[in-house]
Amino acid sequence: MIIAGVAAAGALGAVLRHLVDRLVQRRIRSGIPLGILLVNLSGSLTLGVLVASGLRHGIPTAWVTVAGTGLIGSYTTFSTFAFDTVRLAEADRRAVSLLNVVVSIAAGVGAAAAGLALGSLG
Amino acid sequence: MPAVRSRPGPPVPELPLRIVAIAAGGSLGTLARYGVDRALAQGGPGFPWATLAVNVTGSFILGLVVTLTTGRWERARFVRPFAVIGFCGGFTTFSTMMVEIAQHGQHGRVGTAAVYLAASLVGGPAAVVVGMALANGRILPLPGDRSIPDPDDLGLLYPDPDPDPDRGPDRDPANDPDVDPDRVTR
Repeated sequence: MIIAGVAAAGALGAVLRHLVDRLVQRRIRSGIPLGILLVNLSGSLTLGVLVASGLRHGIPTAWVTVAGTGLIGSYTTFSTFAFDTVRLAEADRRAVSLLNVVVSIAAGVGAAAAGLALGSLG
Repeated sequence: MPAVRSRPGPPVPELPLRIVAIAAGGSLGTLARYGVDRALAQGGPGFPWATLAVNVTGSFILGLVVTLTTGRWERARFVRPFAVIGFCGGFTTFSTMMVEIAQHGQHGRVGTAAVYLAASLVGGPAAVVVGMALANGRILPLPGDRSIPDPDDLGLLYPDPDPDPDRGPDRDPANDPDVDPDRVTR
């Protein structure tokens, strides 16, 4: 049952990521891959909330696994982030590449910590 | 994926078909990550090997597939949505990595968090570069003409029904190289 849930949630997460990315990239022209950045930051915040409130309220592990590992895990992505880092550096836009890494990591850890704090409140 | 927009690539399928390919790839990638997670989970505050492993491996696969679909599989319309956006995107994860770093930091394990972050930030892009180099034949030179069959090319499966349009339907079987196996000249 968990496996079926993880598979379905993973499909949904990947499609959601593509749609959000497309929406952002179409509206805002930017050197930084803003679509994936928004996806990764919102996912980090949400996963933080889920993990902390799951522990606090004793949400069944199966639910946390399907929503966390399945949906949010698939929604966010590391491989595109790594590829963008290489692509921007190879295109002689090393400053943009570095900026994307610094912003993604700093804001990502911050969002996850904020999510963990939020989730352990309520 | 914004990453592939700056270079010419295969044509993009229409949104509904693309969604199906992304969903299928995402489902498989997420299941694979769940499997690695289960296999490598230590059930404690140990080093997050599972996430590091999927993120580095997924980055390698992405570099490999993006390069192959840019240079060779130009007509493979569904390879990128399925393998790159779907599978690699679902297999790798950013949010889990961020929550793991935040948790290690909050529990005073700053060293573990720093080593994990450094390994991911060096290992991921390095894996992309290795994948791209491998696809370009810079690591293991492929023998022969290095052309890889187009997986979407149905011509490989269904031979052209009329290979020579100049030849009429009432051709002489005696002079037909397709009939006589000893006289294959094409």
